Amino acid sequence: MKGKRLAHAVLVAALTLVVALFAAACGEEKDEEPSGGGGGGGEAAQADCGTVTINENAWAGSTANVYIAKAVLEEDLGCEVEITKITEIPVFQAMADGKVDAVLEDWQHVDEYQKYIEDAGTVVMGGPLGVEGHIGWFIPQYLMDENPEFKTWEGLKGNEDLFQTPESGDQGMFLGGDPSYVQKDKELIEALDLNFKHVTAGAEPAQVARWSQLYKQQEPVIFYWYTPQFLNQQYDLAEVKLPPRTEAKKDCKDDAKAGGDPEQYNCEYDITIINKLFSKKFAESGSPAYDVLKRMKLTNEDQEQVAKAIAGDKVDPDKAGQDWVADNRDTVDAWLGQQ
Amino acid sequence: MAVADGRLRAPAAFAPSTRWRGRPVQVAAIVLLMLVGFALFRDEFSWPVSLTWVELPERLDDLQTWLLEQRTAENPNVIFAIFDGFRAFAEWLVTALNDFLLWLTWVGTIAASVLVVLRFGGWRAALIVAAAFASFALMGLWEESIQTLALMSAAVLLSLAIGVPFGVIAGRSESFYRGITPVLDAMQIVPAFAYLMPIVILFSVGPAAAVICTMIYAIPPAVRITALGIRGVTADSVEAARAFGSTSAQTLFKVQLPLARRQLLLSVNQTIMFALSLVVIAGLIGGRGLGDVVTNGLYSNPALAILAGIAIVIMAIALDRATAAIAERTDPTRRHLVGRARRRARRRTVATFVAIAAIVLVARALGADSIYPDEFETATTVYTATIEDTLLGWIQDVLDYVQDPNSFIFGITEPVGNFLLEYLLEPLRAVLVETPWFIVLAGLTAIAFVISGMRPAITALVLLAAIGVMGVWEPAMDTASQVLVATALAVAFGIAIGIWAAESPRVERLLRPLLDTLQTLPQLVYIIPFIYLMPVSRIPGVVASVLYAVPVVIRLVMNGLRGVPPAAVEAASAFGASRTQVLAKVKLPLARDSIMLGVNQGIIMVLAVVVIGGLVGSGALGDMIARGLQRNEFGEGVVASLAILALGIALDRVTQGPRKVQFGKGGTG
Repeated sequence: MKGKRLAHAVLVAALTLVVALFAAACGEEKDEEPSGGGGGGGEAAQADCGTVTINENAWAGSTANVYIAKAVLEEDLGCEVEITKITEIPVFQAMADGKVDAVLEDWQHVDEYQKYIEDAGTVVMGGPLGVEGHIGWFIPQYLMDENPEFKTWEGLKGNEDLFQTPESGDQGMFLGGDPSYVQKDKELIEALDLNFKHVTAGAEPAQVARWSQLYKQQEPVIFYWYTPQFLNQQYDLAEVKLPPRTEAKKDCKDDAKAGGDPEQYNCEYDITIINKLFSKKFAESGSPAYDVLKRMKLTNEDQEQVAKAIAGDKVDPDKAGQDWVADNRDTVDAWLGQQ
Repeated sequence: MAVADGRLRAPAAFAPSTRWRGRPVQVAAIVLLMLVGFALFRDEFSWPVSLTWVELPERLDDLQTWLLEQRTAENPNVIFAIFDGFRAFAEWLVTALNDFLLWLTWVGTIAASVLVVLRFGGWRAALIVAAAFASFALMGLWEESIQTLALMSAAVLLSLAIGVPFGVIAGRSESFYRGITPVLDAMQIVPAFAYLMPIVILFSVGPAAAVICTMIYAIPPAVRITALGIRGVTADSVEAARAFGSTSAQTLFKVQLPLARRQLLLSVNQTIMFALSLVVIAGLIGGRGLGDVVTNGLYSNPALAILAGIAIVIMAIALDRATAAIAERTDPTRRHLVGRARRRARRRTVATFVAIAAIVLVARALGADSIYPDEFETATTVYTATIEDTLLGWIQDVLDYVQDPNSFIFGITEPVGNFLLEYLLEPLRAVLVETPWFIVLAGLTAIAFVISGMRPAITALVLLAAIGVMGVWEPAMDTASQVLVATALAVAFGIAIGIWAAESPRVERLLRPLLDTLQTLPQLVYIIPFIYLMPVSRIPGVVASVLYAVPVVIRLVMNGLRGVPPAAVEAASAFGASRTQVLAKVKLPLARDSIMLGVNQGIIMVLAVVVIGGLVGSGALGDMIARGLQRNEFGEGVVASLAILALGIALDRVTQGPRKVQFGKGGTG
């Protein structure tokens, strides 16, 4: 009987201890954040920067932007940078709720601009990143060398059967882009009266798997693709010119989401201005990080170079960002307003 | 109706049920009629616009916009206060768990988990848990694993807090159970992609939203298995309790719950497994952890994505074995401790917690890191503490081999993929999509009638018609063709392997970890190799579905064959039947209902993977749902999800056979 009580008491004591330790833990957690990387890092933190949360999108280009920004903010401003990885549309709500401060690469989600920037005012436009997106129809360079007439879409006409695969039947196969990207290829094929079957390969990694394999076999393939993209440094690709955007086609649209008459999409894709976006809370916080991110500008080459280092050569993203900053001091100084 | 009803069947001990006789012929006749219709009117009657509710997607879009406006309004509705309260609570819970695990330090976390499992689950389970933590550390994924563990623990706790009470009610009330079943079906079949955005609007991004998404998927098995457990308590025990004057509450707490204990613990176990299969989706909306690594890795470093997928599997298996062992060892019906044994057990418990506290304190005093470090430093040298790079190198080697279009395997898989497409998928799609819609509708309804009876047939008819009205008849039939091919393959492989495993315990032992892996490895991970190996857009999706569904079919077939009364087998053997004869003439016929359940569950599992198919090129409904989230075509995504749900229930009714009550899904693991 006595032993049992003793055991009980010890059990209670032990549990209390664990709970108490836990409670203590919650209090002291903040000051023992793991020190990432272990060395080379920043100067003493400036009190007024604090933590900046930047969202990284799945593709490698976005990773490059984020880690360049991280290197600058951490080393030059002494901010703490947190990275979230929220998918494209939900991240707007995340900014509205102040959970994400900045998105550095937004490919013109105009519906969301209307909802969150115009109507609700919870997100602010941060202006162009400087990187210009370009979407088009691409083929491997070896195919272009053999068939120089593929330089324009007219050259494809009558040669579609070159692109036949088991799933396209007697038509040629056109490998469509990631369903989540802006596109109008089905409509274009119809408007241009080409004998292609539009085949969706799925999300980008799956689409890359498909065309890169045909590339390795040196087979013909035509697909939706875009720049800047680090894979463009790894594969030699050539673009098929689509009907130009003439004065008459001023109102030509790029996003066939709404459907309707294919003729209204009958032109090449326009250059996509890639925007930076900030949460309103962050923009009004007076953080020095906001001014720097607002001034931040990258070229397509900058982004592809860092993206290739990270995704192609498997360099640690932090290091890739820091390397780029070290090599481009002048550019970075301009962002910091030190010129 | 004349269709035999399960309840009326004579309890003849060994006679194979007669209801299957002649039915295959009838089904074949119906299919033949449909084919005649296809040949005569190919591509002539597509679903008419006049029978379509064209504005439905727009209406749903409006709903979402309205939600957003409400959420950002000056004076939000009081409802949102409740959502915000829940959000704050869930976020606090996840953060607290995460911080607690970090505070324990990595040494303490390992010690605590291993010792607790050792005390309550035995050394085998403890060893598995220790190995799991060791592998997270060596993979260099410690921090992410801890984040996922915290997220999943919170989601599982909350799922059980809601699921078990509902399960108890469902177990005690037939009408409540019948009412809640369609809701549970919907929660499991409607893909998370469809409701991700509304959830983000209501709960913002981060751990709270991730927890909610996980709960939606993990609550149904908790409810179902709990209900099953409560019902499993024999009527005698309940009546005896009543006869002694127990109140309803006393009966529940003193009789039903204790006797259903094993099922309750099984429901904990299954809730964990289901929750873990949503890790990747949770990553899309700020759930952090391993899910993040998988999704982002797919774009820039597939080897890393695969490594993170393996970590998820290890976590699932460790949690499964640990909870199962704890359930087994602490079962009072098996091990009732009294007197000294009980005191000894208490002392061991105390010793365990004291040891944990001591280890944690020592670890903290010695300055152990909160997360497992990438390298250890001594005064002179730095040691790399993980083998992440080596592992990534190996995985990359495999990927490189798979990507090589001249490899030996590719020489086999590519023709197989093309064959599947040309001779199975394409013809079936053509038949379903291009046969006049009313013939398909009538044909499927007739098949449901023949196999399952009048009421299921009516349900199937209504749901199939609803698909047409929602304006997605064609993609739905396209998806149906893929689902049917995938199910056929899963059933064929499942029955073959299930028979083999039922006959040989060794095979079963070898299979178990493989089946667990297939059920918990994120589909996006194991699908990567197949994109290379079978480069035809709809095939990788089919492969993913087959791989996901086949474990369930195998398990059901195996259980069915094992459930054949031994007396029947002995009798047959005594009359000189060979092993093959016993199998073909006795076991298989007797296990037929269970095999049909396997077919039926296989379809449900296949449907659950349709969205993944959309991400790897299956097109049709899966594609619409994936786009629904990523391009914010909310309405279309919801319509496609509802179509999948309708298709799921319709196919379920077509194939269910005359079962009385269907407790399924979770109960198979």
